[in-house]
Amino acid sequence: MRSAWLTILSVLVCAATIAAYALLLRVPAVRNHPEGYVAAFALAATVAGLAAALGRRWYAWTALALSVALLLSGAMFNFVLARIPEPHTTLRVGERTPDFSLPDAGGQTVSLAEYRGKKPVVLVFYRGYW
Amino acid sequence: MAELQGLGAALSEAEKTGVEIVAVSPDPNARSHEMAQRLHLSYRFVADTDLAVTRRYGLVHARGGAHGEDVPTPTTVVLDRDGVVRWLWISTNFQLRPDPNEVLGAVRAL
Repeated sequence: MRSAWLTILSVLVCAATIAAYALLLRVPAVRNHPEGYVAAFALAATVAGLAAALGRRWYAWTALALSVALLLSGAMFNFVLARIPEPHTTLRVGERTPDFSLPDAGGQTVSLAEYRGKKPVVLVFYRGYW
Repeated sequence: MAELQGLGAALSEAEKTGVEIVAVSPDPNARSHEMAQRLHLSYRFVADTDLAVTRRYGLVHARGGAHGEDVPTPTTVVLDRDGVVRWLWISTNFQLRPDPNEVLGAVRAL
């Protein structure tokens, strides 16, 4: 019986981890600690392993396979695929940035120089939605 | 992109006129503009379609895109009124973004 409960616990941990990451992606503490989901999948895999050791039932093995698959893909994503090599940036704290002029959504040109002496600027380089 | 939304939410009304947020992306302007409207953002979105500026700043992540294309390294820079870099954050993992409160802390410290 303990095996069944542990199986349920393992599956719940997996589901809660995926839901929490997807729903709380905009919370900086969640987004900036992606190793958290890897740790949670590791916990789920451990619990499922315990369930399989105690019960040797098909459901325990299924939960173990599921949690191990999530653990491996999550770790692969976080530690390998999502990594960005350090760029050779020309930006240095305390130094000026080179000026640029680029078109905005309305077709108007935005030049960095137009803010000089007027406003601080937060410059954000981004890609896609992540 | 999601971080821009966070920055918008963290800015007070008074600060919205006192600081300019310029978002640079190779995304076509139409897409950024649509996103800005959806997220109720009032930033300047500029298109660096060929990554020329991103490259000049040394922020290209070579072949980092989903289809092996060059993409920008997610980066946030705080410039003071003289155009001098006062705060710099460069992502080492594309899941990570600076905490909007930290960015605004750097702006408020100017």
